[in-house]
Amino acid sequence: MPEKKVLVADDEIHIVQVVAIKLKNNGFDVITAESGTDALALALSEKPDILVTDFQMPGMTGLELIENLRKNPDTADMPVVMLTARGFAIEEEQREQLKISVCLSKPFSPRELLQHVQDALAEVASV
Amino acid sequence: MNNYKYTYMAVLIFVAVSLASAVAAGLGFVSGNVAAVFGSFAFTAVLIIGFYHCRTCSAIDFIIKNLNNGEPTRIRKKNIRPLTPLGDAITEFAANSVQKAGDVEEQLTDLNLQIQLLQRQKQNAEAIIYSIRDTVIVTDAFDRLIMASASAQELFGFDIADAIGKPADDIIPDREFLRLIQNARRSNLFGVKHEVAFTTDGQERTYDCLISCVRDEKDITCGIVAVLHDITREKEISNAKNDFVGHVSHELKTPLASINAYAEMLIDGEADSQEKINEFCEVIQTQAQRLNRLIEDILNISRIESGLTKISRQPTSLALLMTDSLKMIESYASEKNITVNAQSPIIFDQVNIDRDMMSQVVVNLLSNAVKYTPRDGSITITIDVNDSDGLVHANISDTGVGIPPDDLEHVFDKFYRVEQNKKYAKGTGLGLNLVKQIVEKVHGGRVFVTSIPGEGSTFGFELPLALSRAAETV
Repeated sequence: MPEKKVLVADDEIHIVQVVAIKLKNNGFDVITAESGTDALALALSEKPDILVTDFQMPGMTGLELIENLRKNPDTADMPVVMLTARGFAIEEEQREQLKISVCLSKPFSPRELLQHVQDALAEVASV
Repeated sequence: MNNYKYTYMAVLIFVAVSLASAVAAGLGFVSGNVAAVFGSFAFTAVLIIGFYHCRTCSAIDFIIKNLNNGEPTRIRKKNIRPLTPLGDAITEFAANSVQKAGDVEEQLTDLNLQIQLLQRQKQNAEAIIYSIRDTVIVTDAFDRLIMASASAQELFGFDIADAIGKPADDIIPDREFLRLIQNARRSNLFGVKHEVAFTTDGQERTYDCLISCVRDEKDITCGIVAVLHDITREKEISNAKNDFVGHVSHELKTPLASINAYAEMLIDGEADSQEKINEFCEVIQTQAQRLNRLIEDILNISRIESGLTKISRQPTSLALLMTDSLKMIESYASEKNITVNAQSPIIFDQVNIDRDMMSQVVVNLLSNAVKYTPRDGSITITIDVNDSDGLVHANISDTGVGIPPDDLEHVFDKFYRVEQNKKYAKGTGLGLNLVKQIVEKVHGGRVFVTSIPGEGSTFGFELPLALSRAAETV
């Protein structure tokens, strides 16, 4: 089974690194970005299987990034796991509208994150 | 009394007889002497009767005039003796009238006093309503304005003297507020609370609006009292507090997230070499330090804002303080090959400062300059003393990325970060706010910033010279 590609976007380099290590150690191919704009460019060019993004990023927020992805047919259905240090930032309605699989509050558990990534990909595969 | 009546009648008969004798003499029925005697008697009697009539008429005239004037009247009976029955009746009438007039006058006096009292109470009520700081509108059962506070005339732009008695429709331009008043009156509601917003001079203000029906003794609604309490400031504070809590939680959670994640990775054995283990531990340590700095900054700002900071002022050379602080960022500047030009102090630049706090100001400004200046750039520190205004000015200029004009006025705000510069350096957005608090709130100085995007920025502050301060206290 080919490696699933995960795009990790966060302006906190330590968070990007720890998520990347966790995912790589568990068989994922990981590409990273430190801003929303970089993440959008990578998503459109690399077409990852799933996006793990921070909510608050310079240039383009996580929500703006997802909105842009949803406009493109290639990335319209890409599953997304969002990380946020503001637990109340996303309404349930908005989460559903933007098809965000899960929203994890910081501080988060890399173990749980891995589980959510695997679940989101499994859900896509089962559709 | 009757004697006088008979006397009066006798006199009249006598006058008639005398006149008849005189006429008879004239006609030759009696002698001239007899006629003359009777004529004289008749003339005298006419004079007497005329005198009494005149006196009686004067007395009656006097009574009527006094009655008209509402004055008490007492007349001597002898003045009206010839017309005794009439006189008695007039006297009695006059006495009764005087008594009644006195009663009426007393009632009028009481009424006047009551009217004055009511007027005074109304004026007091109006004065109280007028003086209330909140906006107060009182209307009657027909929605006409009865009373209003001074702030009401400012808010709705009417003149109270002109507006009293006018329909609320004509003086309150806000239809939504009018509807609330009318609904409250129709539905007999008491103490209904609403939140309303009005825009005055282009600025929206929010009010807590409490509308109550005024009920009379029969429990019928006879008007409305609307009290508008301006909560704009409270809302701003509440929003600022929410923003602050949001920012603080975000800033605290970010390093905490790293600490938590790397610790879990170590526990789960995700670090496959000693090198990785060391790397993870270092991240945990640096993030813990970052968290501590953040908490210290928040606490420092909070202490300064609440006035709880202990301040230890002593005369210090600002240039020497700059030189000492510069040592703390020299290695950071040399990592990026940034040249720092510091002016040597040859002038008196003593300021009364808390050294630790001002050192933090200088370090924050210098480290920001290094953060946002690309490699091989330069930083220039200048200090000027202006004897005429008794101030010392310190400037830290860099050849960095600069700040867009729209952001300049916000750079000293709490948690504010220039969006397009976030990519150049990490930060909490608290450093410059702390600079402002220490310079302005603690030391009574002033901070300022100028910048040209792409060319660099100059952050500076001015403080009163110690000499000038000493001179002020002498």
